[in-house]
Amino acid sequence: MFVQLLVNGLVTGSVYAIAAVGVSLVYGILRLVNFAYGDMMTFGAFAGYFADATLGLPMIASAAFAMAAGAALSIALDVVLWRPLRLRRAGFMALFLASIGVALVLRQAILLVWGPQPRAYDVDPFKVYVVGDVRLSLAQVATIVSATLAIVAIGLFLARTSTGRVMRALSDDRTLAQVSGIDVNRVVVVTWIISGATAGLAGVLAALVQSTFDPNFGFQLLLPVFAAVVLGGIGSAYGALAGGLVLGIATELSTWEGFGGGVDPVYKPVVAFVVLIVALLLRPQGLFGHARAV
Amino acid sequence: MSVLASGEFWAFVGVMAGIYTLFTLGLQVQFGLAGLLNFGQVGFMAIGAYTMAILVAKEGWSMWVATPLAIAAAALAGVLVGLPTLRLRGDYFAIVTIAFSEIVRWVATNENGLTGGAQGTINLAGQGTAAQYNGQWERFQRWVGAQLHVGDKDVVMLLLVWAAALILVWLTARLARTPWGRVLRAIREDEDATASLGKPVFAYRLQALALGAAMAGLAGCVYAWQFSFFSPDDFQPLITFFGWMILILGGVGRVWGVPVGAVVFGFLFAATRFFDFAPFSYLDSADRAYVRLMLIGLAIILLVVFRPQGLLGRRDEMVLE
Amino acid sequence: MSALLEARGVSKAFAGVRAVDDASLTVESGSITALIGPNGAGKSTLFNCISGFVRPDHGHIELAGRRIDRRPPHRIVRAGLGRTLQTARALTRMTVLDNVRLAAPAHPGERLWGVVARRAASRRRELEVTEQAHELLRLVRLDGHANALSGTLSGGQRKLLDLARILMAAPRLILLDEPVAGVAPALREELLAHVLGLRADRGLSFLIVEHDLGFVMQASDRVVVMNEGRVLVEGTPDEVRNDERVIDAYLGTAG
Repeated sequence: MFVQLLVNGLVTGSVYAIAAVGVSLVYGILRLVNFAYGDMMTFGAFAGYFADATLGLPMIASAAFAMAAGAALSIALDVVLWRPLRLRRAGFMALFLASIGVALVLRQAILLVWGPQPRAYDVDPFKVYVVGDVRLSLAQVATIVSATLAIVAIGLFLARTSTGRVMRALSDDRTLAQVSGIDVNRVVVVTWIISGATAGLAGVLAALVQSTFDPNFGFQLLLPVFAAVVLGGIGSAYGALAGGLVLGIATELSTWEGFGGGVDPVYKPVVAFVVLIVALLLRPQGLFGHARAV
Repeated sequence: MSVLASGEFWAFVGVMAGIYTLFTLGLQVQFGLAGLLNFGQVGFMAIGAYTMAILVAKEGWSMWVATPLAIAAAALAGVLVGLPTLRLRGDYFAIVTIAFSEIVRWVATNENGLTGGAQGTINLAGQGTAAQYNGQWERFQRWVGAQLHVGDKDVVMLLLVWAAALILVWLTARLARTPWGRVLRAIREDEDATASLGKPVFAYRLQALALGAAMAGLAGCVYAWQFSFFSPDDFQPLITFFGWMILILGGVGRVWGVPVGAVVFGFLFAATRFFDFAPFSYLDSADRAYVRLMLIGLAIILLVVFRPQGLLGRRDEMVLE
Repeated sequence: MSALLEARGVSKAFAGVRAVDDASLTVESGSITALIGPNGAGKSTLFNCISGFVRPDHGHIELAGRRIDRRPPHRIVRAGLGRTLQTARALTRMTVLDNVRLAAPAHPGERLWGVVARRAASRRRELEVTEQAHELLRLVRLDGHANALSGTLSGGQRKLLDLARILMAAPRLILLDEPVAGVAPALREELLAHVLGLRADRGLSFLIVEHDLGFVMQASDRVVVMNEGRVLVEGTPDEVRNDERVIDAYLGTAG
């Protein structure tokens, strides 16, 4: 049972981790807490649904479609909203509130197009893989595999490519990086592409794992994702990955009977926040973050 | 536009504007005066509403005792939330407060025994009995109506809510001008400089948070009386976002701007109900609701981009950094 | 004369680098003590340890016999220690008068309870505080700007405002962080006169970090020299000026 929960935690944690990286990069480089990210995940899930149900594409292609759609939407939003706001030197509050507006618009648009009823992807929900004591659904396996691939890809990108290194530098210390004449615009575009793609992928994976999803589900995910970002230390992409995995595992393991009966599964989201608050009390800047900013 | 609805409808809009005034007044104290990014205000509202309803409907207490206790409960919640979190950086604090309000909603949805669960306060007296906490309030409303010779109970509600709201706005404006308010403004601008002047920064912030939470608690009680029944879904983060929008509309830091923002927002939002022209006429009512909220989202964006000083403020006084 | 401020064995390291290394110093009551040393000597860090903005790793700091190390800054201020900040941090969106009034201690109107329950006492104190603020602004010749936003003051004027604010809190020891750095000669003389005058008229003590050695020689009774986190030498201005170790430290040939 413990191992099963651990594996479940890895699955949940992987989704959190991918999403958290997207949020963290945007914060680190653009200084924007993107409240619309949850609804971008919903958008990704529905874009994947469109590809799957309407276009009849296989799941992998649908996921890729969702990632592309997410990236495209992010870039469009940057052109229409974020860039003009940057030019006006908008501060943290203005950006945060604007992202709340975007979240609202996005969710209502999704509701308009698809309606509030729950949807599901065209995958076999009963297919189960058994490894020792652990049972994994197809969705869970797919999540772990794609999450691992995505995390490795992002990690390599950040560590090995010049753009990636630049992004880490910018995320770490904006002013210093600005002085060394980096092509900021290109970095911004790449950031939004990654952020949109991770939102799309996380949305599809989360929807797969949940089996059914509706237009509100992205926002439900957003809070644990934010918690993961904060836990890892805002602005640190690696921290976000770590934070996501830690929160996912902690949340699932908390329901284990071995811990004094375990937490009622209904309260799993609450566990995530308790973990976050305790961690912040001990280390206010998060696991990998820097103290003091906004 | 079709014929505007009855006076009853607009009285209702007016009451909602009054409730939002109380709610947003709390945000004004927390952000306008103290610079706190509280995005979980609806959680305090829920605590106020549920405390009052539970004490009256389940425990059989008098509304006159339950209400002050409900407000105190909201204030206490403010203190409890603030103690571990006020030392965090602003953006973390914002996220943690949203989490808090969602936890409140989550608990209210799942603790059927305590709150009546997802179906709301109608379950408070146990299954099969429709619980009612509004009896005393309705009697009070009728009494006031008789004293003022006003027959329409909606109008009485409107008068009561706005009397309370305006009194509180006036008190808050006075509070802002006291030396206490001066310290808060200083903390908002530069907490290190203020600390070096000998002020206990943390204590002040905690007070502002708790005071703002108490106002939300009162808003919750009034909300409960207006609707005589509510459920956890009435306390979604969207309410907090509406509050922030009203705060900006009226002007951050302008206490008297809050009722103005609330009225403008309330009436504009209500007016969108009557958009019968194309393309609205092609949509069914559910879809229209989505479009209306979309318009609110767009309005927030436009407000923030083009008019962050709100309706009444001047560009150079912009406090929305 | 008893020691007003006593710092013993203060150490502070940042990321493995010992900014302050077992430093001790005393400030006698009614004296003006200067803290000098080359860049990176640890003066600012020691300063921050004393005023509570940085927590020392080791050490013992007492003000008039009361321990002040590891206390929050606002309590240290209430214990009688005032300090300027290097970039005189006036609260720019508030008026000059409000800036000074804020510094007043023991104001019932500043407490929520006082606002509600002690209205008469609050009003009285506010009147007192306002009058005192005007008086201090007159002292530093900023009275004409009382109702202007302090953001409109020049750099030099802000330093004077800072001084007025500190005096409002009626401290016993004032820490000045590079008071005449980048300051016009006329203002420099004025600040010098204020420091000496405040010591003479009100018996205030000063601990001053300063690079301007001329100012240091003119103003101080005692000079403490730091280098590489440690206290090198302590003595009168003349003793220190001629000390070889000090000359070496400044020329960089020491250590």
